[in-house]
Amino acid sequence: MATRTQMPSNSSGLIAMIADEDTITGFLLAGVGNVDIRRKTNYLIVDSKTTVKQIEDAFKDFTTREDVAIVLISQYVANMVRFVVDSYNNPVPAILEIPSKDHPYDPQHDSVLSRVKYLFNTESVAGDRR
Amino acid sequence: MGEENEATNTQQSTTESEALNFLDSVDNYLILIESLTSTLGQGWLELSSARHSMGGSRLNNVLLTLKHHSAPTTVELDYDNAGSMTKSKAPQLTLSKWKPSATQESNESEATTSPLKTENHRGKVLSMFGGMVSPKLRASQLSFETALETLVEIANVRSSVLEAHRALKLHKG
Repeated sequence: MATRTQMPSNSSGLIAMIADEDTITGFLLAGVGNVDIRRKTNYLIVDSKTTVKQIEDAFKDFTTREDVAIVLISQYVANMVRFVVDSYNNPVPAILEIPSKDHPYDPQHDSVLSRVKYLFNTESVAGDRR
Repeated sequence: MGEENEATNTQQSTTESEALNFLDSVDNYLILIESLTSTLGQGWLELSSARHSMGGSRLNNVLLTLKHHSAPTTVELDYDNAGSMTKSKAPQLTLSKWKPSATQESNESEATTSPLKTENHRGKVLSMFGGMVSPKLRASQLSFETALETLVEIANVRSSVLEAHRALKLHKG
């Protein structure tokens, strides 16, 4: 994976998003939308026509941009590019998997919990939370 | 012999403390995820209600502007971790909501964000979808703002989980 230059000690960063239309619309209402001079946005709307390659390219782009601090990705979208998401190890930007309207959050697939699950019985983590 | 026992006890209590730290972090992480799911659910419901009352053509992604603009809501990164003693590589994240852009700051006398200016920023974003918008759309906007606050907390707790896991793994050998 390509490396990125670390941001200065105190700086601000964008919140990038790879999710369905309603989730993106909601977060854009909250003011996180950014469009640069080249009309490049900090979000990718995933629908039935979006290919896995487009999702992968967007993920790689957002995780290598210097101005992105957090990448939000719907968990069902992350599952399509699971290998790429789980291979990502940098502290910034932070990758956060979020639920979507039609796909509830599943702790079994969360990339953070999957790294630490060997310390637990996985059934007890998933079962107690439902 | 006594010294060996003391060293073993110290190491054991350090490992136990790290294990507790790790479990607390994971617990916080899962609690925040649940809270986020609930908030997002509310936001989606309000958005659907707004779409129902305003019509689908007034609330879709075609209207999202591709005109050059900076995000008024960003995240502040503190790599110094506010002078804390922990040597975490991940920065502390703080949400910065509705901050005026550099152009707006130079045009206006106040650089800080007052409640009135925050409302103006909110209104500007809502105006993407027309002049008169449903109250449900405003409610949805607030729900997603709350979701953002929870997400920033989750990002910080995520760093704690990974850091605690690293420390535990190191001591386990």
